[in-house]
Amino acid sequence: MTTLSPPRSRTAVPPQGSRGILLALLILAALMGASVLIGWLLSTLAAQVVPGAPAYLLLVFTVVSLLVLAPLTHRAFPWITNWFYLLPALVFILAFTVLPVVLTVNYAFTNYSGQNSGNPDSAARQAATLSADRRSVTVPGLEGSAQAYLNCAAPSCAGATLVLYDEDASVPYRVKVTSAQDKTFTLAVPAPEALQVAQVTRVNRISYVGLANFQEIFGKASRALWPVFLWTVIFAFSTIILNSVAGLILGILLYNKRLKGRNVYRTLLFLPWAIPTVISVQMWVALFDQQFGIVNKSLGLLGIVAIPWLNDPLWAKISILVVNLWLGFPYMMTATISALSTINDDLYEAAEIDGASRWQQITGITLPLLRNSFTPILLSGFAFNFNNFGIIYLLTAGGPAQEGRESTAQSTDILLSWGYNTAFVSAGGQNFALASAIALIIFFLTLAISIVNFKAAGVFEEARK
Amino acid sequence: MTTAPNNLPPGGYVHREPSALRQALPWIIGVVVLALLGWLGYALVDNLKDNQKSFSIFFVERGWVRFLLFLLAASGVLALTSLLGQRIGMARTGRRISYAAVLGDQLTHLFLILVVLIAIYPLFYVLIAAFDPRNSLFAFPDFGNPNIFYKTGLLPDLKQLNLENFAKLFEGVTIPAWQLLLAVIGGAALAATLISLIVSKVGRDTDALANVRAWGLRVLVAALAVLVIFMGPAQFTGGSNESKFLLSVRNTLLVSGLTGVLAILLSTTAGYAMARLRFPGRFQMLLFFIFIQMFPVFLALVAVFKLLTDLGLGNTFAGLILAYSGGAIAFNTWIFKGYVESLPESLEEAAMVDGATRWQTFTRVVLPLSRGMLVFIFLNQFIGTYAEFILASILMTGVEHWTVGVMLRSFTSGQFSTKWGVFAAAATLGALPIVALFYGFQNFFVGGAVAGGVKE
Repeated sequence: MTTLSPPRSRTAVPPQGSRGILLALLILAALMGASVLIGWLLSTLAAQVVPGAPAYLLLVFTVVSLLVLAPLTHRAFPWITNWFYLLPALVFILAFTVLPVVLTVNYAFTNYSGQNSGNPDSAARQAATLSADRRSVTVPGLEGSAQAYLNCAAPSCAGATLVLYDEDASVPYRVKVTSAQDKTFTLAVPAPEALQVAQVTRVNRISYVGLANFQEIFGKASRALWPVFLWTVIFAFSTIILNSVAGLILGILLYNKRLKGRNVYRTLLFLPWAIPTVISVQMWVALFDQQFGIVNKSLGLLGIVAIPWLNDPLWAKISILVVNLWLGFPYMMTATISALSTINDDLYEAAEIDGASRWQQITGITLPLLRNSFTPILLSGFAFNFNNFGIIYLLTAGGPAQEGRESTAQSTDILLSWGYNTAFVSAGGQNFALASAIALIIFFLTLAISIVNFKAAGVFEEARK
Repeated sequence: MTTAPNNLPPGGYVHREPSALRQALPWIIGVVVLALLGWLGYALVDNLKDNQKSFSIFFVERGWVRFLLFLLAASGVLALTSLLGQRIGMARTGRRISYAAVLGDQLTHLFLILVVLIAIYPLFYVLIAAFDPRNSLFAFPDFGNPNIFYKTGLLPDLKQLNLENFAKLFEGVTIPAWQLLLAVIGGAALAATLISLIVSKVGRDTDALANVRAWGLRVLVAALAVLVIFMGPAQFTGGSNESKFLLSVRNTLLVSGLTGVLAILLSTTAGYAMARLRFPGRFQMLLFFIFIQMFPVFLALVAVFKLLTDLGLGNTFAGLILAYSGGAIAFNTWIFKGYVESLPESLEEAAMVDGATRWQTFTRVVLPLSRGMLVFIFLNQFIGTYAEFILASILMTGVEHWTVGVMLRSFTSGQFSTKWGVFAAAATLGALPIVALFYGFQNFFVGGAVAGGVKE
């Protein structure tokens, strides 16, 4: 292969067809796999030599070995250069998008939570004594069987992990157990000389539970999934309708070339878009306060009673739509103006000669022609708002509470914030596995929306070009 | 999708009346929507039934009637002035001017002014609250004042304003001389850029002015970058959270800036390859990128959190930047691919004929041509990252690692200690750089708005 047919294997022309794709992917996978392997080996070695070497050395070593291996790969397969243009992006996407997604799918079928995290269970710590040969540990205060303590399947508990501590309980030392009898655990390897064993504890393992998480979700669907899903769809849909109607009206008004000072209006109306949402949404929390907020003070001037903007389940939904309208209309207005500028003025002149009124011009020319450029904007807006966690969390944090709901899925929670609450808020009990299952459901919904979205926007055709 | 139907007669288009159902559809939808809105309105008002008038709000009985009367009067005045305007205009130009058009424009102005007032007033109010030491976002209005706007609290008492809230944000901040010098240099560069911009707008734009602008921007960016990189937590000796606000701004700028740079580095080569290189697997890869782009990183929040913690990057800026960049690449690749496709291919062909390799063509021809696009990608990523909250709030613990959003949240989410004055001041300062960027590079965003549905 090397000497006889160099032009065949070292050609710069890539193999065609699906064989070419597969070959390229295979080579890239081997390249990345080898880099990760070398990176892992080197970082393990570094950890052995220098205790306390940071774990991110794995990344550094992997990148370095990738940089070394890539030219070698190129020498063997010159046509792979095309793929090397994609390599930086590909490596990053694989490491920080695809890998987390794969892990999420994996977690969805486990019992991973704040408690079952694969870490030593500090609540189950027990005083213990080590035998003279350092091969067995006795726990005098153990209640119940050793098997129940370690949560292991077999009565002998062979292969289960025990964690040893010294008096300070600062550095955990993990050791495998070969057998457990009564209150004594026999260790696979003798405990190190330096360790003065005073306490032991178990490890709360992450284990697979099959579809239990999904059963939990669908079992309580009427208290969480269905109402939250319904509100997510209503929220994304109404937001996009409200924003585009407001944007269309303002955009059409401002596109009127006769109107003096239209640039001033445009610049001022731009402001809500220019301010980072993380700041402006929090600002609205103060403005919407029932007792002291300026919104209710202004309404008082109009003779309207104080509205419980953020304290009533129904009004809180309205508040979210109002704030999202305030945040989003400048974008829609700008999009309308840009789209209008692509419409040929001759059409309007012709319509005017035919005696069409301004209103007829708008409904007969402007709106139909805007539809093309607006369809993708509306669809991507829907997809964006479907997962618009920021506004929900910062404005209402999902609240106010509603009766008959899970504590993690309150009146204004969307699917994503429900998942977030499940994993990261105390009410959810740090149930990472359940949150991952929720995320998986959101994945599929987002995927469905995206496919419709891309079809309508012609993304597939553009990609094939 | 747009292929012509092939059952057309030779003459072409034949008009067919849509079916009755098709014609009635808009009306049916309209009625249903109206009914839903009516029900919603009823439910909303029903919720207010037993609401007491609040003791903290000044109440004007039937104020809305007065407001409507005011609008009516304003429209009446406009009707008269439009008549006047139409007559004067016709006399001056000698052409026929339609009265309806003039009145329409005037009413449009009235409507737009109202919209601007409603949209901008909240911002104005928060801006004033930043200068008000009395926590005025959450204060009783001045009931004793005879002026209705002061009585309701809509206008602030200008005599009370001072810089106390801002002073709290800078309490115990020590800035060494060299940083001060850098800040002065940056300020001077900004001033020079702005002045040359104004001069070029007013008078003639010359090469010298453009040079001043280019160098001013470069010096400004360089000074800012050095400041941001070398400013550290040790400089913030104040005890309270709010005294570390400047540090959180620095953290945010650091994270957003590096994420923006990384987004450019990682997505340009891929975008170029997708646009110009033809190889088996390109289309499949592009599809893969597109679908990945649709998934927000925080859907896999738990996994990202675990991954970064396991890598020892749990509470570090590096970890946060990596997490942000992972979510940014696919989208930016798509944008850059679209841009490269809009460039004329002949330039690259010419370079290749002259013996340049693909890589040289990319770095010497395509990249210099796409400077504007790179600025857009950077800014879009920068602004998007600046406004991000979730990942930052989960990955970053400890006040010294907080970003602006997390810091602001800490002012407002304390149960009994909401610091609205400090919040308003911090919000003002924190929004300033982004607002400046946005207005400075307005055209990029206006252009980008339609190009790809860039930002919501």
